[in-house]
Parts: sequence; C-alpha cells; structure tokens
Amino acid sequence: MSATLDARVEHGPIVSVERFGHLVELTARLPALASAVRPGQFAQLRCSATTVPLLRRPFSVAWTDGDLCTFVLDEVGVGTRLLAAMQPDAELDALGPLGAGFTVVHEAGHAVCVSGGVGCAPFPLLVRELRRAGVADITVLNGAASAAKLYPPERFQRGDTAVHVAEATDDGSRGRHGRVTDLLDLAPAPAAVYACGPNAMLASLAAALDSIGLTRDTVAEASLEAPMGCGFGTCLGCALPVRRADDEAAWALCCTDGPVMRMRDVDWHELSLLPGADVA
Amino acid sequence: MRVDLGRGLALPNPVGLASGTAGYGFELRNLIDLDRLGALFTKGTTRLSRSGNAPPRVAETSGGGLLNSIGLQNPGVEWVATQYAPRFAEWRVPVVVNVAGENEADYVHCVRRLEGVAGVAGIELNISCPNIAHGMDFGRDAGAAARLVEAVRAVTVRHVMVKLSPNVTDIAAVARAVQDSGADSVSAVNTYVGMKIHRRSGRPVLPDGTGGLSGPAIQPLALAAVAAVRAAVTIPVVGVGGIVDAASANDFLLVGAQAVQVGTATFVDPNTALHVLQGITALRGAHTVSG
Ligand SMILES: Cc1cc2nc3c(=O)[nH]c(=O)nc-3n(C[C@H](O)[C@H](O)[C@H](O)COP(=O)(O)O)c2cc1C
Ligand code: FES
Repeated sequence: MSATLDARVEHGPIVSVERFGHLVELTARLPALASAVRPGQFAQLRCSATTVPLLRRPFSVAWTDGDLCTFVLDEVGVGTRLLAAMQPDAELDALGPLGAGFTVVHEAGHAVCVSGGVGCAPFPLLVRELRRAGVADITVLNGAASAAKLYPPERFQRGDTAVHVAEATDDGSRGRHGRVTDLLDLAPAPAAVYACGPNAMLASLAAALDSIGLTRDTVAEASLEAPMGCGFGTCLGCALPVRRADDEAAWALCCTDGPVMRMRDVDWHELSLLPGADVA
Repeated sequence: MRVDLGRGLALPNPVGLASGTAGYGFELRNLIDLDRLGALFTKGTTRLSRSGNAPPRVAETSGGGLLNSIGLQNPGVEWVATQYAPRFAEWRVPVVVNVAGENEADYVHCVRRLEGVAGVAGIELNISCPNIAHGMDFGRDAGAAARLVEAVRAVTVRHVMVKLSPNVTDIAAVARAVQDSGADSVSAVNTYVGMKIHRRSGRPVLPDGTGGLSGPAIQPLALAAVAAVRAAVTIPVVGVGGIVDAASANDFLLVGAQAVQVGTATFVDPNTALHVLQGITALRGAHTVSG
C-alpha cells in the first residue's frame, strides 16, 4: 500500500529522444517524479492519447537531472515504438513513482550490478545513489543479445572512474562471447548484488549466486517484470511466484511488492515455467 | 446528483468504481480523492480467501481491450468484515461489497457475515465471474439466478444489486428473474468471455485459454445489454463496460441507467472516474439551462 504514497499522474514535455543502437533514451520534464523517485522504482507511461494501445507501459526511471527524468526503452512492441517516435515538446503522461526500489547499501566496499538487455534501465540512477551513499567501487556486468542492444558503458559511469563496466554478448559482437552471468568471476565477494533483465537471466544468476552461498547474508536483489494492468496494486494482474518465510508458495504483486525483490524470496523454478512478460 | 437506488443505498453521485478495478480502495486512496465518488464496488469477495490464478493474468488486446483472468484473489469475507469494513466506515464514499461464490451456501454465508457490519453500504452479487469454476452458472441460468437471489434476500435487509453476465443469449430474462426474486437493482455488465493468441507460439496467452474482456472495446456491447435490461425491469440499472470519459458514461445514462461504474479505465488513469463525474455534472448543467 505504501508503494503508491508519492505516486501521481504528471504531464510534462519531452526534452530529448536519443538513440544508442537499438535502445532509446527518452527524457522529459517531470519535476514531481524526478524529486520523489528512488532507484529501482518505475513509472507507468501512456503511449498514446487515444485508447489504442490502452494500457500504460512500465519503465524504470534511469536517471534524473533537476526536473528531468530519463527512461530507457527497447522498441519491442507497439507501445514502445510509439513512445520512441515521440518528438521533443510532445507531452509525456507519467504515473509514478511506483513500486519498491533497490536497497541502497551504505559505505559497503564493492557493489555489483548485473544487467541484461534493456534491464540496464534502473542502473544509472542506482549507481549514482550507491556512490552518494559511500560505496567505494561498483562493477556493472552488462550483457545483451548483440552489440546493438548493449547500453553504452558511459551511460552507467557518467564520468565516475569508480564505476567499472564489463560486457558480454550472446553473439560475441562485443565484450565476452557468452552470457552476462559468465562475467561473475570479475566481481568476487561483492557486498551487494543488484540485477535487472529477463526473468530467465535472473533465474540463472540466482542459481549461480546460490551456489556460492551469496544470497544468504548479502544484499541480493532483482528487478522483475510481469504483465501489468494498473501498476499500482489494484488489478492483481502482476502476480509473481514467491516463497514466504515459512517456505509456502504464494503470489506477490510485481508492481507493489516489487519490481525489486530479494532474490531469495522469488520462486525461480516456478517463474521459469511461466511465459515471459512479453506474451501479453 | 444524488442517486437513491432504494433499500438504503443512496449514492452521492452516479459515478462509481467497478468491482475488481479498485481493490478495496486502499491503493487508490493514495492516488485520488476517493471520497468525491458515488460508490466503490470492492473486489469480488468469497467465503474463504483465494490466492488467484497462475500468471499471466492480464493481456491487452488490439482495439482497446483488456483480457483478465485474476481468479478472484481476495482475503475472504472474514478479513473484509473485521479488518477492512471499519476503515470503510470512516470514508465518505459508500462501499458496496461485491460477493462471489461457487455455490448458494457460499453466497449466503458471505452476505450473512456482512449483515449489520458498519462500513458496508450494500451488496453487489457477482453471479457472473468468468474466471472461476462454476463462477458463471448462476448468471447463465435465469432459474438458478432467481433461486440464489431469493436465498440471499432471506438473510439480508441490505440493498442487493445483482451483477449480470453478458455471456448469455437473453440478458433481459435473467434481469427479470432476479427482479422478481427480490433484487433491488442490477448492474450490467461483467466482462465478456474473450481469448488472445500468442502469435509466436500459436497458443492462448491466458493459462485457461479464455479470460474476461473489458475496456473501451466492449462499450457498444455493454450499452446494448444495458438498454435491453432497462426495457425489461423497473428496478434501477447501473451501467458498466468500457467507460473512458464523460461521453461514453453518458451513453449509459441516456439508455436509462441510473448510475455507472468505471472499470478498466481507472488502470489507464486513476482519475478517470473523477473526470467522468466532472463531465457529467457539466453536461447536466448544460441540459438544465437549455431544457
Ligand atoms: C482486472 C479485472 C478484475 C475484475 N474483477 C471483478 C470482480 O472481482 N467482480 C466483478 O463483479 N467484476 C469484476 N470485473 C469486471 C468489472 O467490474 C467490469 O464489470 C468490467 O471490467 C467491465 O467494465 P470496464 O470495461 O469499465 O472495465 C473485473 C474486471 C477487471 C478488468
Ligand atoms: S499491475 Fe495491477 S496490481 Fe500490479
């Protein structure tokens, strides 16, 4: 319930639309969202002023700068294509901030962010907040299908030399040839692990972390996705399988209990049996 | 703008939030001024808590539709009566509890449990949920619907609104049957049975194959159903289905509905019902001046 406390509908002009390979950065003047959002939270963006497409689409807030909020999109469907085609000065309709964000650790030694594809979106903001909280160094492990889908390293670093980026691509077109989880050896003994990407990637990351016993006493969190009807906890459409403290199977709501969840709470096996968020 | 639906249920204005699209009001209260609305119809509430269906539970369809298969996830009537109702009692917006069940005993149990509970303004009997086993049998059969309403009527002095299913050949016959067995009003319509195919796999997106279709895609269908119901009964009719703005809501009033419920459009913009109310108020003003 508290997740919707600061949320509101806000309209503001788009100030820029920038392309980085297949990814698009949309920046709009949304002062209320910019001042209230915490890393990992999202906004529901209207893709059209008409009722087609009908539903808003959820996007992590990737960056804030004064009154400005930036979102990163991959043009995977009709909604994202319409958003990516918007022009500066057009009005963006955003509802947010929504959901539970990442736990920003304080003064920890080394934090790792694991990003898959457009799962890069929450990390620029998270990296900034971790550095502000005194985290000494941060490694971003960034994977994608191909070079064109890799978010550029500078977008995570923003000039901060304490932020390191390692890359992997499925087709080997940039960085290491393989999965982003293959890069985990570059970040030994982190104080915190944060992840965002397709559910299958998150599941294999969870398994990898579990095998080295990391999730038990380390902050290990993942931002998940699910088809959403509302984004603010009323439709009950965004169920994700979780294990309660007593190990009972239960559903959590991606939009209010998440999108960021402790990795040990997610039922990764059950999740792997479900179709991805893209089906809807 | 007050609408008296009879037997103790008077709405401050004709615009409410539809069942299943506003939860129990707690999340929306953070987003909008709920107390300005005519009514809040709660999520379908059952005898025991239900955890709901496996995902995916929602899918957008082309042409402004939303398919859902939530499976009546709710905390159960005991929780609603003891934990939620006391909070409803502090709100200005009347809260009508939507009740669902798999058999007559379930419905009777829920309605009896809510009898006399402060904070509950009325009952909406959901005889039309397409997403649970047996959930629609009552709504599909005029005789069964009538017997259910009679059984519920016997245990409550509250206003009983019956929510009709549009997935029938003759919605007017069901409306007449529930009126004759003691319903105080009817709301129409619940969602239409719909399907979406995942084009890459060639299989239905929703796990059960079908789900309930709502949103602007169904507004003309809902309007026709409400007009048919209006012609068949004398009790108040509440129109619901595909309302997105004051004009699409006013259509229902023009075909004879006393009030409306805004559903799916609240997901798109939580302020929709308030905008509808504002627009209808303005339309009424204009008609009064010109008429
Ligand atoms: C996600 C969702 C959940 C719903 N849950 C219920 C419910 O629990 N009980 C009920 O009577 N109707 C339920 N409905 C139906 C709505 O109350 C309404 O009748 C229908 O959606 C048509 O209105 P709309 O097009 O404005 O949404 C639900 C609809 C949606 C979209
Ligand atoms: S998207 Fe509606 S409850 Fe989460």
